Amino acid sequence: MTATLTTPFDTPPAQAPLAAARAVAATKRYGSGDATVTALDAVTVDFHANQFTAIMGPSGSGKSTLMHLVAGLDTLTSGNVYIGDTDLSGLDDRRLTTLRRDKIGFIFQAYNLVPTLTALENIVLPASLAGRKPDKEWLDQVVHTVGLTNRLKHRPSELSGGQQQRVAVARALASRPSIIFGDEPTGNLDSRTGAEILSFMRSAVRELGQTIVMVTHDPAAASYAERVIFLADGSIVDEMFAPTPDRVLDRMKHFGE
Amino acid sequence: MFITTLKTLAARKLRLFTTSFAVLLGVAFMAGTLVLTDTIGQTFDKLFSNVNKGTDAYVRGEVAFDSEWFGDQRPRLDSTLVDAIDNVDGVAVAEGHIEAYAQLVDKAGKPIGNPNMGAPVLGASWLSNDDLNPFDLTSGRAPVADDEVVIDKGSANAGDFRVGDSTSVLTQSGAQQVHIVGIAKFGDADSPAGASYTMFTPTAAQEFLAHPGKVDAIKVVADAGVSETQLVANISKVVPAGTEVLTGTEITKQDQAAIKDDLSFFNVFLMVFAMIALFVGSFIIYNSFSILVAQRTKEMALMRAIGASRKQVTRSVLLEAGVVGLIASALGLVAGVGVAAGLKMLLSGIGIDIPAGGIVLTSKTVIISVIAGLGVSLASAVFPARRAAKVPPIAAMREVAVDQSSRSRKRAIYGSVITGLGAFAMGAGLFGGAGIAPVGLGAVLVFVGVAVLGPILARPISRVIGAPLPRLKGMSGTLARQNAMRNPKRTSATAAALMIGVALVGFITILASSTKASVAKNVEKTFNGDLVVSSNVGGVGGLSPKLADQLAALPELDAVTGFRIAPAQIDGSSNNLVAADPAAMQQISDLGIKTGSLDNLHGNEIAVFDDIAKDKGWALGQSIPIRFAETGVKNFTLAATYTEDATVGDYFVSIDAYDANVADRFDQQVLMTIADGVDADSARAAVTSVADAYPQGEVLDRAEYSEAQTKNMDMLLNLIYALLALAVFIALLGIANTLALSIFERTRELGLLRAVGMTRRQLRATVRYESVIIALLGTTLGLAIGTAFGWSIVKALGDQGLDTFNFPVSQLAVVTVIAALAGVAAAALPARRAARLDILGAITSD
Repeated sequence: MTATLTTPFDTPPAQAPLAAARAVAATKRYGSGDATVTALDAVTVDFHANQFTAIMGPSGSGKSTLMHLVAGLDTLTSGNVYIGDTDLSGLDDRRLTTLRRDKIGFIFQAYNLVPTLTALENIVLPASLAGRKPDKEWLDQVVHTVGLTNRLKHRPSELSGGQQQRVAVARALASRPSIIFGDEPTGNLDSRTGAEILSFMRSAVRELGQTIVMVTHDPAAASYAERVIFLADGSIVDEMFAPTPDRVLDRMKHFGE
Repeated sequence: MFITTLKTLAARKLRLFTTSFAVLLGVAFMAGTLVLTDTIGQTFDKLFSNVNKGTDAYVRGEVAFDSEWFGDQRPRLDSTLVDAIDNVDGVAVAEGHIEAYAQLVDKAGKPIGNPNMGAPVLGASWLSNDDLNPFDLTSGRAPVADDEVVIDKGSANAGDFRVGDSTSVLTQSGAQQVHIVGIAKFGDADSPAGASYTMFTPTAAQEFLAHPGKVDAIKVVADAGVSETQLVANISKVVPAGTEVLTGTEITKQDQAAIKDDLSFFNVFLMVFAMIALFVGSFIIYNSFSILVAQRTKEMALMRAIGASRKQVTRSVLLEAGVVGLIASALGLVAGVGVAAGLKMLLSGIGIDIPAGGIVLTSKTVIISVIAGLGVSLASAVFPARRAAKVPPIAAMREVAVDQSSRSRKRAIYGSVITGLGAFAMGAGLFGGAGIAPVGLGAVLVFVGVAVLGPILARPISRVIGAPLPRLKGMSGTLARQNAMRNPKRTSATAAALMIGVALVGFITILASSTKASVAKNVEKTFNGDLVVSSNVGGVGGLSPKLADQLAALPELDAVTGFRIAPAQIDGSSNNLVAADPAAMQQISDLGIKTGSLDNLHGNEIAVFDDIAKDKGWALGQSIPIRFAETGVKNFTLAATYTEDATVGDYFVSIDAYDANVADRFDQQVLMTIADGVDADSARAAVTSVADAYPQGEVLDRAEYSEAQTKNMDMLLNLIYALLALAVFIALLGIANTLALSIFERTRELGLLRAVGMTRRQLRATVRYESVIIALLGTTLGLAIGTAFGWSIVKALGDQGLDTFNFPVSQLAVVTVIAALAGVAAAALPARRAARLDILGAITSD
């Protein structure tokens, strides 16, 4: 744990991609005085565009906190986070909300969908909230990619867990956001369905040019990413490119989970 | 789990408040009504014991018959009886007493007081004996000359009168010029219960107020040592048949009982609204507990899983309902005292002045309030509690089940049967003559039945109501509509509370507008008069017949007649007898003479509405016995029948017949037509110049006359609206409560929406429009029921002059708009809460 934290453990790809999102000395503390808990301790990290990044770490490591901060769902104690060029710390609730709607996609572990809306309505929800018509061609492509063409009129309660997560993926993709955040997106699924969802996410990055950051504690899930960031005790402790489940698991053991 | 528990508690504060508040308002209204009527009752108890304080015996005519409109009818006594009684053994003093309509005119020429709505305006004889006279002079002296009067201090204040002032007093014998020689207080009060008193010498009182040689009653003081009963026994020996002799104690008791009887109508009237409020409140309790039980399914299941019995689960829910009921009753009782004051202000605002001293809070009020509050709360929670007990322990392992929408066939059958039974009971009451009780019961059943059907109706109606929202309001509109449709049971139970208030408002509005339309149509159809002088006093008093005589002399007018109503017992049953000049009446009103003729209606002849004559099997020449209070039974001969009863009612006689048999001679109105070739303005000017001396009368043209017929109705209408506003307000609390509970339940979903980009403003709009849909659902159902009720009553009362059904579109549109706005208001707090939701907490909490 005392290893040099700033040095990458693996060799980065030859050309450094642009940052879709960035955290600079991002710090989050809860409570005050003696009871202060530091959830995230001056973390600086870039999430590259057109890349699938996984954030890993034991529970309490701050991986979810990091994602929530960068996604504009939580506010920093100090430091800055950026989506593209926009510094989130300067935004009020309305601007932050609009930014999430227009620039960010979300895939949560569960409760991803509004139960009263059909699959299609859920997919185009951010666009509808913005009062925009979705891009028909792109939407067809997304729906086709996740294989939901025949399920669009169904409500979430009529869909299986896997189908529900595919709708969530489609929603995240549909508005063509700058970046998509996934919070344990396969945590509630069996491994086969989970693998399917992760494949969609990977192909979204490779084939549709999207950017995804995913929090997970599952080495198998992390292996779908191109880059894995390891967090422990609120700090980034490691980084890995082109991960495999075994290598990730190995690293995890190394950090003593 | 800890966070959720804290959240539940935080949510519970508002929930406990709104749930309790719904019942609290009903209880407060009920307690307020009881406090107010008890307070008024006590005021009158005191009043009458003061009035009769020094009276040991009271002599008056026996009841000839009881008139539904005018009360007990008694003959007056000959004033010679006063002297006869004065000479009876044991009598110290006997004085004749007269009390009749007399209205003071203030310095601006306006009559003082409004006997139509408030305390009576009376003239009386000044009693010279201090024991008999409840008034005490504060300045001046007793009247000696016949144009001298003593007035009560209240009237002196109202008219800014001092001893030495002169003014006029409106009486049966016209406007009398009088000098005020004294001002008197009634015990500590300026006037007895707000009534105005002008007191004349005994001679003047007989002359101006009643009839020379007649008195209303004789008040007697006993010699020292003579008991009331002994005195009554002695007096009874000398009085003629048909005379009643009471002890002072008895007359006090009878007066007190009589006013309580009058007040009981008032009490029942207000109580009806209190019960409506509680009924609406019961829907809210039911709904709140239903939602809570659904939300706490997991908790209940866990309790069952670890060994709690069904009974214990039921009891835990009922216990909570009991706490709600007790809090509501206790606070409601306290608030009731305030409500009593508020009701008094409300009533005085529309012109009904109520005398009331200190606040009277009886143990009866406390007991009734607590029973009502607790009872309504527990009864409403019984079904939810039983549902809670049915939660199987296995549900603890399942996802939380949201209350399932019930569209079962059983519900459709039960709902239809209950609604049908209600409609049948109402029909039996309205059309079958079963009375008012089945109508009320039927209305309650209809409300319950439609509420049972509600979950089936809620989804399609909400879909239609919300149809324009997605287009108008985008995603917020779509979600609002979907949310209103997702729990049809919850939506409909919430809307049902509002439905009741709106149904009653709609019903009353339709009834009023149909009544107005019917009256206008009848006036249009049968009334040919051009001008009317209408007295503002209903029931007691009116215009002196001298006015009609003076008007008849005007060259600008053609037909002129006074119009009077007298109580009489006709063919054995109490009825109103209309009297006017037959020849003039035929010109003024189209009576539709069917048989016979009115041309020479003599003093012992009567004309009867054709339907009545048919019912009774009377033909021309039939002898009809009529009992008058003053003259006893007289036989009248049927001289004509007519088909238009709008103006003259069921029975019509000449003024001669009236004068020969009725003691009080007042015209309610003077009706007239303008002579040929005279323009309306100059005729009206001529009439006004004569009528100026009778300021209790108002000069009206035909259109104004038509409107004036329903003027009092408008005041009653406003009072009823004000009272129904409470029921509507409680229903709005119910909407707010349901929304708050729904929002709490949808925390995760709202968090998700906020995360993917719904702004606070959009979220508030979503909650707001869901509320508007619920409000409009309630309004739709309410107006449908209100219209059905209104239509039924118009059909039922068709033969009593209510023959035109009028659907007041604009007024009901206003009701709908107000309901929608009220929905917006009800959503204010829940919407704010929803918008303030902590996104991260919502999506991460487990």
